[in-house]
Amino acid sequence: MTQRKKILLVDDSSTVLMVEQMILRNSPFDILIARDGEAGFETAVKERPDLILMDVMMPRMDGFDALREIRAHEEIKDTPVIMVTTRGEGVNIETGYTAGCNDYVTKPINGSELLSKINNLIGS
Amino acid sequence: MIRTGAGIPAEAAREAGAGTSVYLHPGHLFASPTPCTVTTILGSCVAVCLWDPLTRAGGMNHFLLAHHPAMDPGSARYGDSATDLLIEAVLRAGGARQRLQAKLFGGACVLGSAAAPGSVHLGLKNVLVARERLAAHDIPVVGEDVEGSRGRKIHFLTQDGSVLVKTL
Repeated sequence: MTQRKKILLVDDSSTVLMVEQMILRNSPFDILIARDGEAGFETAVKERPDLILMDVMMPRMDGFDALREIRAHEEIKDTPVIMVTTRGEGVNIETGYTAGCNDYVTKPINGSELLSKINNLIGS
Repeated sequence: MIRTGAGIPAEAAREAGAGTSVYLHPGHLFASPTPCTVTTILGSCVAVCLWDPLTRAGGMNHFLLAHHPAMDPGSARYGDSATDLLIEAVLRAGGARQRLQAKLFGGACVLGSAAAPGSVHLGLKNVLVARERLAAHDIPVVGEDVEGSRGRKIHFLTQDGSVLVKTL
């Protein structure tokens, strides 16, 4: 039996997490949640998700630093990461790419766009 | 004066009216008859830069997916409708259809492993639909920097039609 792929959602906003889970509700993925960048990195090391949705502005460790930690970690450095940015944060998008993100989506998140980008990176 | 078309963000028009610099968000488009610099950042998304070398009217779109769904026919989020909308917007801004030139950017497959030989990834689908729509309008593609595995930041200068590309 094929193991279901795992997606890690990293965001300090319960609302955003709820929206992301609603979008992914009918998709064949298991969902993991972390509420800040540090927890996101730790969960990624422990759970080895197939893809990470990473918010930018979070307490303790922001999304950029979490992404840099992921890219520097030998065992999870190739994990696809989609940055979730607030509209208007052009500088953040550029910084996200520099830190190693694979793609980005902007809030408010459009479900079909997010699913297309996830499928593009890891398949359905 | 800024002539706006469908999907043009209000803040972009305000910025251009006040100065010369516009940041284009995903799912929007912008066109202007006056010199300005339009900037956006692309991953798998694609931007079409459209320009009339005589009047220097120009515009850019930034779309995320290739084909519009039936319930959303007039959206700049999708390559087929976004390209048609951009053409209309640049024509309204003073461009002439027979002189329009296009440049394409983006469409990266930002994860190497997903780019299996022969596969059509999301970015390539976006590139293909832009080429298809421009060909349907007999608009030549005079330059492009597409696909690959890296994001891009682009600056479109409508003063001379040039596009500066920074690989991210």
